[in-house]
Amino acid sequence: MNRLKTVITITWFSACLVYSQMDSTAVDSLLLKRIELQTQQTQQQVSPPPQARSSASTNPNMSAIGDFQGSYRNMADRNFDLFFNEAEFSFQSFVDPYARADFFLSVARDASSGKFEADIEEAYLTTIDLPANLQLKAGKFRMSLGRINPVHPHALPFIDLPNAFVNFFGEDGVKDEGLSLSWLVPNPFDFYQELTLEVTNGPLDNPSFTRSPISKYLYFGHLKNFWDLTENATLELGLSGMVGANDSSFSTTMGAVDLTYKWKPLQYNTYQSFVWQSEAYFSKAKYAEDAVVNSWGIYSFITYQLEKRWFLTGRFDYSNFPFSSALVERAYSAALGWYATEFQKIELEGKTTTSNFQDQYYQAMLRWIFVIGSHGAHAY
Amino acid sequence: MKHYFSLIIILLIVSVFSLYADSKIKVVTTLPDLKSITEEIGGDKVDVFAIATGYQNPHFVDPKPSYILKLAKADLFVTVGLDLETGWVPPLLNSARNAKIQKGSEGYIDASTNVPLLQVPSSVNRAEGDIHIYGNPHFWIDPVRGKQIAENIFQGLVKASPDNQNYFQTNLKTFNDRIDTKTKEWITRMAPYKGSKIIAYHNEWPYFEERFGLKIVDFLEPKPGIPPSPNQLVKVIGEIKRENIKVIISSPYFTTESADLVARQTGAKVVVLATSVGAEEHIKTFFDLFDYNVNKLVEAFK
Repeated sequence: MNRLKTVITITWFSACLVYSQMDSTAVDSLLLKRIELQTQQTQQQVSPPPQARSSASTNPNMSAIGDFQGSYRNMADRNFDLFFNEAEFSFQSFVDPYARADFFLSVARDASSGKFEADIEEAYLTTIDLPANLQLKAGKFRMSLGRINPVHPHALPFIDLPNAFVNFFGEDGVKDEGLSLSWLVPNPFDFYQELTLEVTNGPLDNPSFTRSPISKYLYFGHLKNFWDLTENATLELGLSGMVGANDSSFSTTMGAVDLTYKWKPLQYNTYQSFVWQSEAYFSKAKYAEDAVVNSWGIYSFITYQLEKRWFLTGRFDYSNFPFSSALVERAYSAALGWYATEFQKIELEGKTTTSNFQDQYYQAMLRWIFVIGSHGAHAY
Repeated sequence: MKHYFSLIIILLIVSVFSLYADSKIKVVTTLPDLKSITEEIGGDKVDVFAIATGYQNPHFVDPKPSYILKLAKADLFVTVGLDLETGWVPPLLNSARNAKIQKGSEGYIDASTNVPLLQVPSSVNRAEGDIHIYGNPHFWIDPVRGKQIAENIFQGLVKASPDNQNYFQTNLKTFNDRIDTKTKEWITRMAPYKGSKIIAYHNEWPYFEERFGLKIVDFLEPKPGIPPSPNQLVKVIGEIKRENIKVIISSPYFTTESADLVARQTGAKVVVLATSVGAEEHIKTFFDLFDYNVNKLVEAFK
């Protein structure tokens, strides 16, 4: 029995010894490897390998935008309000070498119920290489009407939309499902001229147009002209025309003109700038054989950049309604914006509205916009 | 009828001229520095347009529609890359209707390819200000890295016009040789001031700092892209006094109010260096850029 114990003990010790020796060799070789690796790393640090220059992911660029607001209005049942207006989520990327896609999903607060509703703000595909300077867009998009409609409201220098815009196109503007074809028009003077033609189903909630139950669609055309006046100043003139079904069985025809002057000294372009933008909408709405309403509206605003982060905007609004040229609204507003960075801004706006159908009223608004993620740059 | 006939003749002549003009490779670059290098390599075979001017902040350029016209006709597009132009190049390229110059195509030249980078962050957080996730993008303010930029542009030009490879190759060699000679000269001139501590307005000089052996101690911006705050200026004034710093460098597109304020408090000199070709009228080439900056600094350190 004792022999067995001795044999087991010797075997045990031998095994341990062999193992420990094996282990020490292993430890040594491991140490050697580490040293080698570290030396390599040190060498690598001296001349670093080319770094990856793009994230190795096919995820689209994503961002979330918050829009928090406060408002005051006299002559209202509830004068003060603080609310989260909208969360917008965007996903933007190339689809393949032929097209890119942009998705903007909005969860917005319904002004009357206070409840949040999700909606597709925009979702469209854009070609990047059609021949003959053509570009095709398909999906749901904000139509290329003038200077306010294509812009997401959070990017505008005022909190409320111009009265004329709201009266004729609603708070959401004209966004619709369909096709958009744009063409860079070659011209002997070599200035930027872009013709856009769009056909859509007809917007669902819009004061001027509606989605017709019969085969009537919304046809739209826009001619954008752009000139560099000097190195620091540009001028844009846009002409739009559109025709579509209204909520009678007849049609509404509209025309629009937009004129924008921008000044920004190239050298100090983050400190100073000036914009004067105006847009007029003309509507001819036929509601019955003998009932045609010709009405119009206009807004004009000036934005002056006081300092690197401070922007002051003054705006004048005049507007009829699509269904009446007798009703007239006039409004004056001023907005002050503080842009912390490209990703955060706070704006304060005061506005007074007079009309020939209700008493004059005053509004004050506050808006705080914040962006996380890679929010794409805005068009000029 | 006669009028129509003359109009057709004129149009024909114009088309013939435009065909003639088409024989050159049309290149659009984001910055004038890339234009200068493209012209060095491409010689008379290229027609180059730079979108930004030399005195403009390259992070913030307005994507004016007139640039879309240039891009629509371009054979090559040269960009600094590393997200420097992320605020203005994507909307321009998206509207250019030109697949030749889209990212990933042969006509899209990323000047940063294979350039050894500095300040590549291991993590990115916007709370740190405007951090560039791929590394500091101001690498063109280093003559030696200019050689890699030239190599990248050379590769693009060869793809666009393989017949001219030898011509471009000769120009590339001339450019590289000249960079080597001039860099030695610049380094020699800066040698007495090697190790000098300076303050910069914005974090756009790490490559220049490394090349010429300067030491940037702090910035007037508390974080990249955030305007100078009183707290930061007080901190910088302390540093200048403590470390006996003589020079504050700034760029043409920043106002010098805060730099001047710090200078008045400390006696340091404010030197506005050129960040790009064209920052001053006489800075016409990539070589002029370093001649100018070295002259300015030598003068300030004296």
